[in-house]
Amino acid sequence: MNRPIVGRRGFLGGLAGVGAAAALGTGLAGSALAADDASAMYAFEGPHQGGILTPAQRAAAFVAFDATAADKAELADLFQEITGRARFLIAGGTPANIGLTDSPSDNGVLGPVVPGDGLTVTLSVGASLFDARFGLSGVKPAKLSTMPAFPNDALDRTICDGDLLLQICADNQDTVVHALREIARATRGGMQVRWRQDGFVSPPRPSGTPRNLMGFKDGTSNLSTSDAKLMDQLVWTHAGRGEPAWAEGGSYHVVRVIRMLVEFWDRVNLREQENMIGRRKDTGAPQSGTDEFDTPDFGSDPEGEVIQKGAHIRLANPRTAQTDNQRILRRPFNYDNGTDPNGNLDMGLIFAAFNQDVERQFVAIQTRLIDEALVDYISPVGGGYFFALPGVKDSADWLGSALFT
Amino acid sequence: MPLRPRYRHAFIAIVALSAGAASAACGSDRAASSAKAMLVSTARCGDDWKSGPGGVTSFTMTNNENTALSVYLRATGSGKVYFEVEGFGANATVTEQATLADGNYQLVCSGLETGPVPGTTVRVTNGASLASAEPGIVPVTSNDLLPISIAYKNWVTAQLPTLREQISTLADAVKQGPTPAAKADWLTAHLTYETLGAAYDAFGDLDAGIDSPPALGVDPVTAEDLTGFHKIEALLWSGAPAAKLTPAVADLASCVDNLVRQFPDAEIDPNDIALRAHEIIENAVEFELNGTTDAGSHTNLATVGANIVGSQKALSFLLPLLQSRYPDLAKTQDALTNAARVVAAFDHNGSWTPLDSLTRAQREAVNAALDNAVELLASVAAICDERLPGAQS
Repeated sequence: MNRPIVGRRGFLGGLAGVGAAAALGTGLAGSALAADDASAMYAFEGPHQGGILTPAQRAAAFVAFDATAADKAELADLFQEITGRARFLIAGGTPANIGLTDSPSDNGVLGPVVPGDGLTVTLSVGASLFDARFGLSGVKPAKLSTMPAFPNDALDRTICDGDLLLQICADNQDTVVHALREIARATRGGMQVRWRQDGFVSPPRPSGTPRNLMGFKDGTSNLSTSDAKLMDQLVWTHAGRGEPAWAEGGSYHVVRVIRMLVEFWDRVNLREQENMIGRRKDTGAPQSGTDEFDTPDFGSDPEGEVIQKGAHIRLANPRTAQTDNQRILRRPFNYDNGTDPNGNLDMGLIFAAFNQDVERQFVAIQTRLIDEALVDYISPVGGGYFFALPGVKDSADWLGSALFT
Repeated sequence: MPLRPRYRHAFIAIVALSAGAASAACGSDRAASSAKAMLVSTARCGDDWKSGPGGVTSFTMTNNENTALSVYLRATGSGKVYFEVEGFGANATVTEQATLADGNYQLVCSGLETGPVPGTTVRVTNGASLASAEPGIVPVTSNDLLPISIAYKNWVTAQLPTLREQISTLADAVKQGPTPAAKADWLTAHLTYETLGAAYDAFGDLDAGIDSPPALGVDPVTAEDLTGFHKIEALLWSGAPAAKLTPAVADLASCVDNLVRQFPDAEIDPNDIALRAHEIIENAVEFELNGTTDAGSHTNLATVGANIVGSQKALSFLLPLLQSRYPDLAKTQDALTNAARVVAAFDHNGSWTPLDSLTRAQREAVNAALDNAVELLASVAAICDERLPGAQS
């Protein structure tokens, strides 16, 4: 049974491990009632974390943190604390009653009984976590590095990278905000926000794959998450094969915050837009087909007379035998941030993707996309490479536990 | 400085409670909350609650007093209180929950003029083990807080001559213009004042003349309505001549003279000491770590250091109340010590690293240390909030 962990604070200065946290939480034994409303609730425990194969929820926050824990023991506490909070928040239930001894244990944003509301909390680690500070350099995932600037990037390093990334997704924005506040409150001494980007998934317009803010359906040819064998080949990392033993069941988590220059884009004629993408804007069909889910036909179009050779979908996924194992699981969100001094709107796409080998897959794709026609209308500004930790096995396990053994 | 909205615990209104207690087994608090309300009043303070198993227990109560009422639940042995209902209007119905270990409990009802009146003592059995019970606390009362506020006030009073002396030193120094010595003297006096933060509220309007922050978006050098430490700071660090510095320091000295004169007669709300122990650090996080008080000296980190000292001082007077009530007290003290250590690393013999010069890692370390301390201090304010006159057994 999932137990709420009392929202203990004062992260540093006490090595409250899982045991201690559980002891505090036992006051609530029996009160961790799952909200029995109609909203989805995802399992917290399993071989993999949620938020990867989970169908994209409507609302998301990508929040990168730097660890401020003093040492490896405090870092382990931090991971346990995040696990405890995530475990409760995902299951939902009645927050700890702490009587008169403190401010309320829950911020109350979701009312007295926290609903699951389709929440997933996905914890990923960045390459910087494996520097000298925590003695983890020997167990770094083999392919984890600091995201480089690709030739068309305009990265602002203040909104890139980070020791940790929390990808918090839910059916409603208030549930995302609630979870972020609760986790941040419980971990203040142990980590500090480095950058944050909120996003949303649009409803299908009018049907099929949701559209991005360029007005195109985005994600039509994504991997089938119900194909477990495919996931094993393309999404999940496996122990051995160069990866440390603890990495079984994890996944490389690529996040790219890609600004769309929407005013400019909206001044581009439709034919040019569709040629850059390789799909019809209205139906999402490839230019070689009729319906959204028709397979693009590159084979009978070697000169790019139907779908241009520089079209985004052709470069990204040429659908050849050689590129088959480069495919990635995309999980994108739109974002809408505000305005520039020139009055232009700051909006775009949080490109989020999971893959087994970031070099073999994401980097290979992104390298093909260098100087694609679309680069005049997009500007990657932030994000980073992360590694989504394996799942939590059982009620005693915690995210990242195998890193510390 | 912003203050927590305060309401006085108006002498407990007559509680006419009728307590309807329903025990909720694991997973059934929905059922519990639909239990029939019990009428509560000072005449019958939850007498309908007769027994029950421990664990999560809901109390649905309707105020049957015809006036406002206050109700709380306490363990008869330890005197610990588990919930309180204040601001309970006549005929209103509320539901409270407590997680009770085995033991003896009673509801206590108070009206504006009646009470506290205890209800029947109820024996709870077959409940959750003691370890799983919700933490109750022995309420802190005005009687507990009064001697603490007097001691704290005496401490503040004893610091004021030092502050006044340091301002005289500053006044002498600025006769030579904006010299390094004058800047050092300004910092010394300002930090002394910033350690007294626990008394902001008691300083009242006098504080506005002494330490008002500069307005955002306005040049503090020319801002006509800016006075006190930050005006002098703006003048010193912009290189203003003695002719401008001297009257500004004289104004400050005059405000502090008023403070020295008036403070002994000022009333400090006994609740303020714990609130200040917490809120000095809230203010440090909100204003100093954001740099919004900086009028040119870039000494926000020094101010944070002084604020930590001020919080530690306020906390020190509360230790007798907290030692038995706050399990994380030592952790809180450690957090403040750690924050002081982190901040002190940016003091280079009186020359402080400006906020803008911190590396990202340094900045994150400072933020984390202060955030950690302020989370722990929140409990200090909650625990020491004056409650329930007469509640102590």
